Amino acid sequence: MNEKRDMIRKIILLLAFALTTAGSFAESTQFTMSAPNVVRSGEQFRLSFTLNDSGSDLQLPDLSNFEILMGPSTSQSSSFQMINGRTTQSVSFSYIYVLRAKAEGTFTIRPASINVNGKVFQSNSLEIQVVKGQQGQAAPQGGSQQGQQNQQSQQQENVSADISKDDLFVKVDITRNNVFKGEQIIATVKLYVSPNVPVRGFNDVKLPSYEGFWTQDIEVPNQISFAREVYDNKIYQVGVMKKTILFPQQTGTIKIDPFEITCIVQQRIRQQRSFFDDFFDNYRNVEARVTSTPVYIKVKDLPPAPASFYGAVGSFNYTADIDKEKLRSNEAATLKITVTGTGNLKLIEAPKVEFPTDFEKYDPKTSDRVNASDNGLSGSKTFEYLFIPRYAGEYTIPAVVFSYFNTASQKYETRSAGPFNIHVEKGDDDQNATVMSSISKEDVRFIGKDIRFIKQNQQKLTIKGHTFFGTTGFYLVYLIGILLFAAVYFVYRKKARENANLALMRNKQANKVARKRLKEAASFLKNNKAEEFYESVLKAFWGYLSDKLAIPVADLNRDNASSTLLSRQVQQETIEEFIRIIDDCEFARYAPSAFSGTIQDVYDRAASVMGKLEKQIK
Amino acid sequence: MKKILYILLALLFVFQLNAQNSLFEKGNQFYTDQKYNDAIAAYEELLGTGVESAGLYFNLGNAYYKTGKMTPAILNYERAKLLSPDDADIQFNLELANQHVVDAIEAIPQVFFVRWWNNLIKSKATDSWATYSIVCFIALLLLLGLYVFSPNGSLRRLGFWLGIVFLAGSITTFVFANKQKNRLVNHNFAIITHPSATVKSSPSEGGTNIFLIHEGLKVQIIDQLGNWYEIRLADGNQGWLPSETMEKI
Repeated sequence: MNEKRDMIRKIILLLAFALTTAGSFAESTQFTMSAPNVVRSGEQFRLSFTLNDSGSDLQLPDLSNFEILMGPSTSQSSSFQMINGRTTQSVSFSYIYVLRAKAEGTFTIRPASINVNGKVFQSNSLEIQVVKGQQGQAAPQGGSQQGQQNQQSQQQENVSADISKDDLFVKVDITRNNVFKGEQIIATVKLYVSPNVPVRGFNDVKLPSYEGFWTQDIEVPNQISFAREVYDNKIYQVGVMKKTILFPQQTGTIKIDPFEITCIVQQRIRQQRSFFDDFFDNYRNVEARVTSTPVYIKVKDLPPAPASFYGAVGSFNYTADIDKEKLRSNEAATLKITVTGTGNLKLIEAPKVEFPTDFEKYDPKTSDRVNASDNGLSGSKTFEYLFIPRYAGEYTIPAVVFSYFNTASQKYETRSAGPFNIHVEKGDDDQNATVMSSISKEDVRFIGKDIRFIKQNQQKLTIKGHTFFGTTGFYLVYLIGILLFAAVYFVYRKKARENANLALMRNKQANKVARKRLKEAASFLKNNKAEEFYESVLKAFWGYLSDKLAIPVADLNRDNASSTLLSRQVQQETIEEFIRIIDDCEFARYAPSAFSGTIQDVYDRAASVMGKLEKQIK
Repeated sequence: MKKILYILLALLFVFQLNAQNSLFEKGNQFYTDQKYNDAIAAYEELLGTGVESAGLYFNLGNAYYKTGKMTPAILNYERAKLLSPDDADIQFNLELANQHVVDAIEAIPQVFFVRWWNNLIKSKATDSWATYSIVCFIALLLLLGLYVFSPNGSLRRLGFWLGIVFLAGSITTFVFANKQKNRLVNHNFAIITHPSATVKSSPSEGGTNIFLIHEGLKVQIIDQLGNWYEIRLADGNQGWLPSETMEKI
């Protein structure tokens, strides 16, 4: 019965809760445990649990290393918010225990658990370091401090001397002091303040210049939050002033200049012992200048780098891709190279991409998205190469190789992407037209200069120093030429001489033959055979001239006969007489009626001309 | 006796020809595969058999050029040029290789007709000039025949005058051929092979240092005394150098 009622009550409660705090259901339940990370032994401290919901049955972890002085003290806070008609309610419960550490050492507090609406939630775990309690450095609120404060006030005039180096100092922490060039290190500027020195503010902060480094600041909250830390076995309130990622840019030993800061420290002074003094302490602000010691970093040079090293030092992933593999001429495409990882991202130069020379290409567009954190600089860097193929065809962009120096393995690691094949089609017609309209002859661009290629054809190898010139064969050519010429000459000469002899003979016999013919004509004359007579007279003359002048009978006519005779110094009258006889003979032969002369007269004249010719022809 | 020797050599050639050509092709293949050192070895082996050709020297020069050895490259280009002076490829590569020579020597300007004359002689190889001479001589004989046998007066006159022209041509080209042959045989030029050489005023180590020249430079040898050569640069400066600092072309 009791159980049932309990169930019903629970359900109603749940429903009511669900109705009223509909908004808060979205938020997850958070249960956290918190305590200072460093305590002195014997010091009281708080261990608090916060829960943003109501819970029950808090199970404490094992706290056997600590003494529970008090607790739990519970507190609750709730808030309602109404924004634009929407109501949100948030509740927060906290449980606080006051503990005291019993022994020195580092202790882990395991998670606590709590029951919220039947579900068990676990908190985070904590680690608490317990150090030896220090003399004269009791809790600030402790009574023993009073005496020390009194002591301090005795020497108020020299205020800055009061604050000893142990109480207030600055330190530049670096993660490593022996690095490679370009390897990242984190420098943290920390202000250490002893808990009993109340620092009220800062003045005149002089940050180190970090000369010789490329720097990237890590965001730290503007409001410096102090955390407890143990240094040199003492507890300090430590505030992080600045965090910077350093990338050494030169080799050798680099000095980091000291960090300087002026702290304003509040001090209580008691000038007179008066009645009011105990009630109204006089405070005054004192400036204390603190300087860190310089830090030296040894920077080694990188080992000899491959050609594809573009300055990347760290640990990276590398991708490269192309947005279009098929495009038209005069269309733009982009090759995108992305480097992601940790290291000197911002200092990486654009990798070299060997585009086909016909492509129009532009300088790469570089963009980076980096995040500076305690782990160093990480993020991605993108290089975008815009290119425009101007002519259609099949092109290949060779693989883009990227090397980085891996600081962990201390070796170069090489990544490559590609090659990329690009198919370029001929662009649209109108695009071509625009190209056509502004036609411009391009000079052949010389991309490189090199020697001409070797001779591939078969070589006519000769003995060293041997030439055709000067050999027997060479001179033989001349000799054979001369001999051939001489032979031809002599053959010709002989033939010519023979021909000449023939002509001479005919010349000599010409008169004889002519006389014989004339005699024949005379016999025709006696027999009164006129026709045969004239014929034989003509034959005698032409035959005579042919033999005498060495002209074939067929080629002879009156003109060339008379001109040749003239050149052979025959008298004009004789030639004319000769022509007349020829004319007479031909007349008498072909037109006997027109011929008036007698046969006897022709014969006499012919005989006399023949005699004159024989004498006159030279 | 000499003839028999030539015939024997010619026979030897026939037997060797195949082996030599295959060696040449092997060298070319190495060169094409960018194994320049192997190509050099193959070409040098072929040269070691006592034969030469312009193409062989040219290819060897190219292989040296590709391995970055400019001085032997220049030497071989110069040798190739001597055998084939009118080859544009040899001229081009030689000029390219000469850009690596340290010394910039201004040649003494010659009177234009002397320069033209020398360039004319140098423009063809010995055997080209020898061939021209023979061709001119044959033309001369033909024209002489025309002169002697032609019955026509004007043709005879043409034959006579042209014959004289061709006679002159034949003699000139013969002289040219002779000069080129002398250049080939006498090795009057050399390439400096030492990285740097100090030219002395006299043929001894004690001579005064006159000037300093560097490897790859072409010098003319004008005299010899023992192990020393008297050299002349293109700018007219002369002096003595030990013979091991240079290699004759």
